[in-house]
Amino acid sequence: MAYIPSHKKRHKTTPKEARLQLTSMMDMFTIILVFLLKTYSTQGQLINPSQDLTLPTSAVQNPVELGLDVTVSGDWILVNDKPVEQTANLETLDGFIIPRLQEEVMKYAREAEKMQVKYGAAFSGKVTIQGDKNLPYRDLIKVMATCGQSNYPNMRLIVYTEEG
Amino acid sequence: MAYRPSKRSQKGEENVHTDITPMMNLMVVLIPLLLTSAEFVKLGVIEINLPPARSGPVQGAIENMPQEENLRLDLAVTITSRGFYISSSLAVLRGDKGEPIELKEGQYDYARLSQTLYDIKQKAEGKFPDLHQIIIMANMTDNIDYQTVVSTMDAARTIRVNGETVELFPEVSLSAGVM
Repeated sequence: MAYIPSHKKRHKTTPKEARLQLTSMMDMFTIILVFLLKTYSTQGQLINPSQDLTLPTSAVQNPVELGLDVTVSGDWILVNDKPVEQTANLETLDGFIIPRLQEEVMKYAREAEKMQVKYGAAFSGKVTIQGDKNLPYRDLIKVMATCGQSNYPNMRLIVYTEEG
Repeated sequence: MAYRPSKRSQKGEENVHTDITPMMNLMVVLIPLLLTSAEFVKLGVIEINLPPARSGPVQGAIENMPQEENLRLDLAVTITSRGFYISSSLAVLRGDKGEPIELKEGQYDYARLSQTLYDIKQKAEGKFPDLHQIIIMANMTDNIDYQTVVSTMDAARTIRVNGETVELFPEVSLSAGVM
């Protein structure tokens, strides 16, 4: 039988099921997944670095521990995000103890000791210090001395860890 | 002209697709989850533990107690605007002045500090009970910044010799120095 293809029907194709080409997207997702798994941390972010300061970088690999948070930024000294003293006032300070910082830290120390008596939660005396990398040494020493004198002798200086 | 469509085209190789939709669903859930728990800046801590503060009478009691003679090294690094000075109690007793580790091209020479401390550690190995402690102080009037202090601690903590990391003086104390 002679078969003559119709010219009209030539481009008429039966509507096929539309399919997305997902293979390249899958490739991308796989790469992202591997990358994210690599940077995965089980403990999450224990400490949020403050916005208005740049921490110094160091080669230490010690993991972050929790403690009372003392932040020394360019403008203020903060204890658990509560401003207690202006950093500029440290310059004119006599001696090493910063009175307002000591008062605030002592408050937390008393609270923690009360907790220890009541509930047996051991008071570790740990304080994490976040300081700007341009903080002068004499100011850092004053903050540390004050913490040490206020029943928080175990200091943890928070730094950025260098890769490698 | 009459022509017959090929028989092969009639068979039509149906493209067999794996159904990856469930896989996609999984990815869509997993990626936000991992994104939230990813840490892009790694934080670390430097531990500095002070001896617990004691009140007057207790301290006096300890001072009055007979103590065992211990030869202590009391190694200290002083950061000044001119460079590092290394000192120990013995050097002070002997009156040695000691050459500073001077700035190199305006930068602190941490590599030389590490090397010098490594040499000291090699020489003093086993002779002192406090051979893992070091005191770091900075000249108060020289505006030494925090980053310099932290980098000095790094230089004093470990050194890489022939591809191996050797521990130097990991227990760091800070000293106020002279005002």
